[in-house]
Amino acid sequence: MPYTTRLKRSYAALAVASWLLLLGNIILCIKTNVNLQEGSVYLHLNNVLVVAFTLGVFMAQHHNTEHFKGTDFLTYLWKLFARAGIAAYVCLVLHLGYEIGSRYWFNPNPYLENVIYNINFALFIYFLAKAFNTWKRLILFQKSKALHVEWRWFEWLMYGSLLLTLFNVNYITYIFIPLMCLLVLYIFFVSVNLRWVAYLNLTKKWRSIFLLGAILVSIFLFAKYFQIQNDNQTLVVNHGDHPFVLLMLFFVFVYSLASLLVAVFSLPTSKVFEQKREDLLNIQRLSQSIQQGQDESQVLDIFFDSAIRASGADAAWLEELRTEEMVTHTLNLDTAKIDLIRQVLKSLNLNNVDYINNNLDMNYHFRELGLPFKSMLVVALKSNKETFGVLYLLKDVEHAFDRETVNTVRTYTNQTILTIENLRLIEDSLQNERYKEELKIASAVQDSLIPKSFPSDSWFQISTFAKAAKEVGGDFYDFLMLSESRIAIIIGDVSGKGVSAAFHMAQMKGIFHALMQDNLDPVVFMLKANSALSRCLERTSFITSSLYIIDYKMQGLSFARAGHCHTLYYNSMTEETFYFQTEGLGLGIIRDASYAKRIHKLHYDYNPGDVMVIYTDGVTEARSPTNEEYGEDRLREMLMQTYHLEADDIKYAIINDLNEFTGDAHIHDDQTLLVVKFKNVQPKFQM
Amino acid sequence: MKITHEIKDNTITISLDGELDASSSVLLDEELSNPSIMKYSKILVDCAKLNYISSAGLGVFISHLQRFEDSQIKLIFYNMQEKVKNVFEILGLDLLMTIVSTYDEAMTVANE
Repeated sequence: MPYTTRLKRSYAALAVASWLLLLGNIILCIKTNVNLQEGSVYLHLNNVLVVAFTLGVFMAQHHNTEHFKGTDFLTYLWKLFARAGIAAYVCLVLHLGYEIGSRYWFNPNPYLENVIYNINFALFIYFLAKAFNTWKRLILFQKSKALHVEWRWFEWLMYGSLLLTLFNVNYITYIFIPLMCLLVLYIFFVSVNLRWVAYLNLTKKWRSIFLLGAILVSIFLFAKYFQIQNDNQTLVVNHGDHPFVLLMLFFVFVYSLASLLVAVFSLPTSKVFEQKREDLLNIQRLSQSIQQGQDESQVLDIFFDSAIRASGADAAWLEELRTEEMVTHTLNLDTAKIDLIRQVLKSLNLNNVDYINNNLDMNYHFRELGLPFKSMLVVALKSNKETFGVLYLLKDVEHAFDRETVNTVRTYTNQTILTIENLRLIEDSLQNERYKEELKIASAVQDSLIPKSFPSDSWFQISTFAKAAKEVGGDFYDFLMLSESRIAIIIGDVSGKGVSAAFHMAQMKGIFHALMQDNLDPVVFMLKANSALSRCLERTSFITSSLYIIDYKMQGLSFARAGHCHTLYYNSMTEETFYFQTEGLGLGIIRDASYAKRIHKLHYDYNPGDVMVIYTDGVTEARSPTNEEYGEDRLREMLMQTYHLEADDIKYAIINDLNEFTGDAHIHDDQTLLVVKFKNVQPKFQM
Repeated sequence: MKITHEIKDNTITISLDGELDASSSVLLDEELSNPSIMKYSKILVDCAKLNYISSAGLGVFISHLQRFEDSQIKLIFYNMQEKVKNVFEILGLDLLMTIVSTYDEAMTVANE
């Protein structure tokens, strides 16, 4: 059980116990026929029990765990009335029942009369406690620190007045009367806090007025009852003159009356407040429409409705400007009338601009139209970049669009523009996301074009490395086993980067596989490839490529270089590392037969242990953070140190050195590296 | 990339300053595609401040090469840095285009 609930229950128990004791005390007094004289023990006991009962009830209410839910004040008023206000009627029924009963059916009974009086007193205290607690919540609605302190003091002072009863002080003296008056003033001071009334709309105000009226009736009934009973000689004690009770009754009454009056007098202005609140809510709706996944047309729906309600326009229309003006929303107007009005505006050179005319009759052109409208407001939904649409509002009174209305409509307009722009940004980013996805697919496709399983045989080793600067690149390499002792290796680089380069790369791969089926000589291959590419490559594109044919039986290597990077070679006999210096023009640069003059073949007899390093310019032109190029010399240096290693290890050594050189810098161009090492072992002769 | 040109009689001298990469090669292409360039019989390209040329940059020159040749316009590069020249050489363009070391040399070749 939560702590507050336990507290509440203990206080309730205290209240019940002290009330029963109080009743017992009174019955005892009647039985022994003791009069509650000044200073008698019974009187003191009575006072102590009254204070204990009152405190018990108030504290139980104080620790009531019900909390305010938003601005649902009506529920609180209703609960106050339904749970405590009804008590006044119960009190009335009990009283009248006894009066009538004692007159017609039974003799007056002092026991019964005292018991009923005490029951009614208990109901009254319960009502006061409930009302006090409810008013407290209403007063402290949207409290400030100062108000909180003021209320604390108020509570302490009110509870303090219980001491007068406890010590049986006669408070109608010159000392206490001014204090009481100050407390009464404090009550007025506290009762000014009626902020909650402003949060009621018209219907709620009406309902709260009725509820407050009913509560006031309850207060009146209680007050009247205790006033009547004040002079009743049959009653042993009179509870009606405890200062706490009187002050509390006064406070509850003052606050109820104040609330009622404020609610009544704020009825006429409540429409204005409601409109303002609605404006705020609508702007909020507009700004939240993105999160709620609404689209542009829904945003414009909200905008159109809100603007009409805020301005109270009699007729309106909204045009969207996509490719041309298109009326999407209308109110009390048909297309013919809209066209007429727009023609006038066009003739006045007021097309799609903000415009206010509060006296259309003054304008000859508008008067001619014979329309009932006297005021017009035109607001363009315009951002820095473009105009989304134009809103036209019409009213049949003059000077209808005051500054306040125009500002509100402008606020709506700005919010709508913001929302539409954000919606479009989101759309764009989704589109970009799709492009990225497609690029990823392209990247995967391209990846599948690069051979994964390398031809392997005992007489050579090949190790490869490829890294694209973007999702898709223009570098490529491929192999083709021409026979068990011959292999063709091609490497190439398409000028440019990205998607177009990737397409040409795929084309080149196709050309390689198609032409090399015929077991062509490298130079012949280049000639045919140049001729094929000349027909499909755009003018600014070209491809550099090298084709190597390695023949194990001949222990020879023949290759042609079409503008591609020089081949790095390590000769194990001479222990020299060098670049093959051959001439050859890139593919697609000269697009006629004269290309034959520009391409040459080189034949070289290799030795087992020789190493050939084939690469693209992304390797040699890779840059360090200080903008230095990796260069051919550094690459040659690397091979001189690593030629004795396996092909894989040579490759890793070079790549590591390259990455160390470039640092974390983003690579500018695709990098491809192939290391071929020749071995002195027979081919396996099986494929 | 900064591209400036200087006109003297029937010679236009284009100076390239910076890096000729994919984005700046568009500027060069605009410059060379300008129909008025066909008025001149000699186009000198000053590469003194050209630090880097990408394949896209080379592509621009290649794409205009044939047109200039057909119109008997001489295209001459001079003052080329070693590493840039190396790029031309690897691609085999040094045999296709005229690349000389100095301006005077370029003028001599142009007036042949």
